[in-house]
Amino acid sequence: MKDIYILGIESSCDETSISIVKNGCCEISTVTSSQIDIHKTYGGVVPEIASRHHIKNVTIVLEECLKKANMTMDDITAIAVTYGPGLIGSLLIGLTAAKTLSFIYNKPLVPVHHIAGHIYANNLVKPLNFPLLALVVSGGHTELIKMEKHYDFKKLGGTLDDAIGECYDKVARVIGLEYPGGPKLDKISKEGKDTYKLPIPLNDDSYNFSFSGLKSAVINLAHNEEQRGNEIRKEDLACSFQKAAIGSIIKKTRLAIHNENIKSLIVAGGVAANNYLREQIEKLGQEENIEISFPPIKYCTDNAAMIAAAGYFSYKEGRIEDLYLNAKSNDKLC
Amino acid sequence: MRILYIDTSSSYLYSGIVEDNKLLCEVQKEFGHELSKMALPEIAAMFEYAKLNPKDIDKIIVVNGPGSFTGVRIGVTIAKVYAWSRDLPITTITSLEAMATSQDEKTNLVPVIDARREYVFGAIYSSEEKEILKPQHIKIEDLKKELEKLNNYKIITNDEVNIDGEKIPYKPNILKIVTKFQNKEAINPHNINPDYLKLTEAEEKMG
Repeated sequence: MKDIYILGIESSCDETSISIVKNGCCEISTVTSSQIDIHKTYGGVVPEIASRHHIKNVTIVLEECLKKANMTMDDITAIAVTYGPGLIGSLLIGLTAAKTLSFIYNKPLVPVHHIAGHIYANNLVKPLNFPLLALVVSGGHTELIKMEKHYDFKKLGGTLDDAIGECYDKVARVIGLEYPGGPKLDKISKEGKDTYKLPIPLNDDSYNFSFSGLKSAVINLAHNEEQRGNEIRKEDLACSFQKAAIGSIIKKTRLAIHNENIKSLIVAGGVAANNYLREQIEKLGQEENIEISFPPIKYCTDNAAMIAAAGYFSYKEGRIEDLYLNAKSNDKLC
Repeated sequence: MRILYIDTSSSYLYSGIVEDNKLLCEVQKEFGHELSKMALPEIAAMFEYAKLNPKDIDKIIVVNGPGSFTGVRIGVTIAKVYAWSRDLPITTITSLEAMATSQDEKTNLVPVIDARREYVFGAIYSSEEKEILKPQHIKIEDLKKELEKLNNYKIITNDEVNIDGEKIPYKPNILKIVTKFQNKEAINPHNINPDYLKLTEAEEKMG
């Protein structure tokens, strides 16, 4: 069978990333231009600034990616692009670039949902093993998704308010950690003890999550301690917060594994890089005797390799769009 | 020599293909919020109408602002990716130059685009097409002061702007624009970027 080379383009937030992946599993080359240092100054991603950088970078990243792969656009089978969800101005740069390439080279245009990309990042490591449960944890998402076969997504549950990553960044800010604070919070929690009493989020039998109550509890706690003139023990608060937040995720994930006849569990999204979550998931895998798959750290953050990987399976399913494809900032995967 | 012209800096798509000083085809349509979705299919339809292939273009002229930030980026992304792909010479002009060039009036011309909060994007060109005031993000009051220095002028705009004087709506003369700027120096596609003429609000607050 002829090899299929997908060019993936991802620009949904603050990374301009382009990648070439062979047959949905073999990464040929990826080039990513990150804006993290630019947005640090503002304490978060500023959408208009992100869009301005995407357009500056897009052809440079594309050229470097092809050069690194020692390929030309003629070697590419199809172009996969993140059409949503994400920042609309940012999405539009990658999408418009993809549409233009599709027009000029007459190549199929394959739309990829950003979360499908995060899930398929795992396919770059080993083939997905169905039926699987995907735990998607990122700055914008906290979801449990079941897949019986390729490109078949069924949402079991998700967050009712804040996403886990969003909650991490806010709590980190309260503790006084610089943006993006999630990874720093994870790091310092190792030196702390679980001494602060925090509520267990949405402690029920659904597959849903809720993190706004936990977030408010941390903010109130920090505020009260400050008023009393007490210093917050950052490491301890980080540790207690992680225990509560990740504890809730493990509980719901375990519930889904029990009820849904799951063969393997994959973790996807930026928060998949969190060490404490990784430890707890490993433990869960052993206890439940189930196969666990984590994407390597480089595939946890936004990257185009995962978009190209998902794009391959989307392409095989015949999901091809014409030049009328539009960006959708809030589209649901399932 | 076939030249592709693209301007998505307003709610309209203005695009055309000029071959040896003849306009082969053009599109001038208002899309509003749909512009980002419609720009490329409309340009592709224009190629089809003219029975041209993307390979048949020799040069690109793109409007790189000022105007709608998102809008400008659509046209500039199409143009820079196109030029990079086909290794074509590409050059930019401002929306205000395009507006002034499209007029035949023999008077001072003042192209103006609403920029909200008592500001506009504006410029002043003499009847000899000389730049009197370079394109800028300017307070309406300050532009009025500049206009007081002139004996006569006409304002070109499609927006509601609170400035006295005769107003002419903008309808691009793509053939005239392309003819005027066809020999403007080409820029490396990597360096083709919008010129917003305005910082983002976050940058302004940072100072």
